Amino acid sequence: MDLVTILDIAIGGLLMGGIYALLAMGLSLQYGVARVLNIAHGEFIMLGAFATYTLYTAFGINPLLTLAIVGPIIFIIGFLLHRTLFTRLRISSPSPGAFESRSLLATFGILFIIQNLALIGWGANLRAYSYLNFGVNLGGAIFTANRLVSLGFAIGIGLAFYIFLVRTRMGKAIRAAAQDPATASLMGVNINRVLAICFGLGAVMAGFAGTLLSMRVPINPAMGMNYTIIAIIVIVLGGLGSIPGSFIGGFILGIIGTVVTYIEPSLSLAAYYFIFMLLLLVRPKGILGK
Amino acid sequence: MLEVSNIDTFYGKAQALWDVSLRVDEEEIVALIGANGAGKTTLLNTISGLLRPASGSVEFLGKKIDGLAPHSIVELGISHVPEGRKLFTDMTVRENLEMGAYPYHAWKQKEETLEHVYQIFPALKEREKQLSRTLSGGEQQMLAMGRGLMSRPKLCMFDEPSYGLAPILVVEAFRAIKSLREQGITILLIEQNVRRTLEIADRAYVLENGRVVLEGACDKLLQSDYVRKAYLGI
Repeated sequence: MDLVTILDIAIGGLLMGGIYALLAMGLSLQYGVARVLNIAHGEFIMLGAFATYTLYTAFGINPLLTLAIVGPIIFIIGFLLHRTLFTRLRISSPSPGAFESRSLLATFGILFIIQNLALIGWGANLRAYSYLNFGVNLGGAIFTANRLVSLGFAIGIGLAFYIFLVRTRMGKAIRAAAQDPATASLMGVNINRVLAICFGLGAVMAGFAGTLLSMRVPINPAMGMNYTIIAIIVIVLGGLGSIPGSFIGGFILGIIGTVVTYIEPSLSLAAYYFIFMLLLLVRPKGILGK
Repeated sequence: MLEVSNIDTFYGKAQALWDVSLRVDEEEIVALIGANGAGKTTLLNTISGLLRPASGSVEFLGKKIDGLAPHSIVELGISHVPEGRKLFTDMTVRENLEMGAYPYHAWKQKEETLEHVYQIFPALKEREKQLSRTLSGGEQQMLAMGRGLMSRPKLCMFDEPSYGLAPILVVEAFRAIKSLREQGITILLIEQNVRRTLEIADRAYVLENGRVVLEGACDKLLQSDYVRKAYLGI
């Protein structure tokens, strides 16, 4: 195996991994902090992808700029969804376990609603657009510019989020609420609001992943589910409850996926499932899990 | 300052407090005494908003606070240092203290308040950057108390601050509590160590099985036969 191939696989893995890392951080926020396993997570990716597609093809807005539009809109949707539906479920559930299963079912409902609305709005056909579709030569291996840009953004967003969690008042409130919501409320943290913010932020990360994805793959309303599954695998790999774990886990899965695709493309999804099952059997805690 | 009137509190269907009334005036140290399971923690949880009374009312500075969310009650000036400390184990000493100053009015002054708390508990300053779970039991207790002070409260409620501490540290903890009163902070205190508590507090309420059975000035209670037999082992 020559250097170019190794570079191809390694960087290709990172490129894919960046998207996975973003996805997984979002789900980790929703499940790890707000305790909602959001089966509809992939639908927010799809929404972000379609929003960018529409903004670019209909209004000519630069896809990277659409991040600034897609972000706030998806945040508001996610925030309101949690503040109404999931807060109500949380208060009325007799136990945390009951809440988790009820909210899981609710997210199935949300999945169907969003997906079908998208089908009505955009139709079932594949859509695609071309942006930054030229090749860049890195050490002999060629990568499309839009993939490199999306890796840059994925890392940038990850870093920005890390700084947010560590340095800002709201970030600390989120970390405290993740560890001990009751005690956090004794510190003056408005738990209902903070959990809704986490849910909204998680949805935004999915939306951003969707925007970045739309630059290089064709999109359709049914695209979400595969990504939800990958996000679930990554958060288990990285460790439930650990946001840095999901970030790292995303890159690891991306590299594994690229290696498997190199050997036998049709096996990549099977490889992910295999890893998932192995994890659950051998080390359910994941890499950085508690 | 704090007026608890005839509250009943339930855990699901099980009643934990029956017709409990309590009063705390400014700059007092009031103690809650009773055996395990008597309802002392439940009472504090009801005041701080973690629990909602089924009937009765809680008023603070003339304002009705029963039914408010805990974060609103903190903003009004009540700080609850819970049983078992409940530190944020993945955060450093400094971050735990900062979380104590979360309400807006306290956050703006947090550096100043932090300096102040470090003066009361110098060991915390040394261990500023350590994760809170690496601290010893006594240091964790100091951290929990310091964190309770960061919101610049008018009323501070401590749930068993001396729990699990070595005797010499118990003395330290009580000394710290006494010094708080000198700074104008009103204190409501739950403690297992009845003698020490009655020695530093002004008034006390004795709870048994969710009811107030005795109340009064601490020097009187120290003389009471009932208290001496049941709680001081005399």
